[in-house]
Amino acid sequence: MEFQEVLGIRRSIRYFEPNKPVEQEKIQKILEACRIASCAVNAHWLKAVVVKRDDIAPADLEKMKNPVQANVISLAPVHIYFYGDPGVVNKNKGARLKQLYDYGALNPTHGWSHKFVDEVVYPQILKPLTENPAYPVALAFDCGISACQGLLMAFELGLGACLTAFVQDVVAKYTKVPSDWIPFYVLNVGYPAESREAGGQRPRPEFSEQYHLNQYGNPFPRDPKVVKELEQSKMFTTPARPDNGERRKEVRELARKLNLPM
Amino acid sequence: MALSKPITEFDTVKAWAEGLRNQWGGDPLVEEPEMLDALVRFCDFVGEEPDAIVGKLFRIRKADGERVLSVKWRTHYADKVKEFRDRQTEGQRWGSDVLSFMIHNGVLIQA
Repeated sequence: MEFQEVLGIRRSIRYFEPNKPVEQEKIQKILEACRIASCAVNAHWLKAVVVKRDDIAPADLEKMKNPVQANVISLAPVHIYFYGDPGVVNKNKGARLKQLYDYGALNPTHGWSHKFVDEVVYPQILKPLTENPAYPVALAFDCGISACQGLLMAFELGLGACLTAFVQDVVAKYTKVPSDWIPFYVLNVGYPAESREAGGQRPRPEFSEQYHLNQYGNPFPRDPKVVKELEQSKMFTTPARPDNGERRKEVRELARKLNLPM
Repeated sequence: MALSKPITEFDTVKAWAEGLRNQWGGDPLVEEPEMLDALVRFCDFVGEEPDAIVGKLFRIRKADGERVLSVKWRTHYADKVKEFRDRQTEGQRWGSDVLSFMIHNGVLIQA
């Protein structure tokens, strides 16, 4: 599938084929996609624990449910729990930046040297950053980028996926993650039970409300020609619409098939 | 437990019927009367009437007088639905119908 088509077909899938397992290699590909994401200072804060639903004892699975995600985690055969590891910066002390230097990604052309990393970047910027109350926000941004690549990979592989919150204390006890890891979201993965369109591309705020040129309040101009091109490349697909009878019929059938309330 | 009146005469059941009609079109409780049967069985199982169940699921918050969902009672009924579901042959389907009744009465619940 072409990249723009992958962007266009991604939906939050909430109806999965509960008994159709996800191949191990597809799970690995999702994780591999996370791993090569862009990441500030090459820190790689994102950690993930893959949990196969059927490996969880029923009593533990019950405890992992909350009133808004119970059905999704019950239906999805694979749960990928995403965490941020705040300890990586002080563990590596700039070593990964120096590695980038050695590999020619960071260069003197842009002011980089081992000395700069050892004497300035780590002690004066990175270490204080880890002590700043805003540090979790910075690492959350990077973890989000990484998780998003995994999310898109799932769709490229013909799977469906949906990020949800999770019951942190219960899951931490199950997954035995280090206590300083910051819990983010769980990526629920499986084969979609709903159609690929899943009711169409969800509504979004107006482009002009979101993006600006030079200054806030000056909307970035949206060229209709570009929009047309993106429709042709399938990044823009059938838009979802309210009171869509076909979608309601599909959901009603899914409710009956999967024993969900209607 | 016998209900004090026909199941369709309870306000919460009327709200359920209306919610289903608005969401799905047609009249799902007429088209699938087993949904009502499921609720009757559940009422019998917990020994309570539909309006009483929904009544317990909400409380008035002292601080601002807002009507809010009671976490305690939601947990209680979610557990009851699971128990109900596990005891009956048709339990999965009936449990979902009871959840539907609660959802269309404004109770955010998954079990």
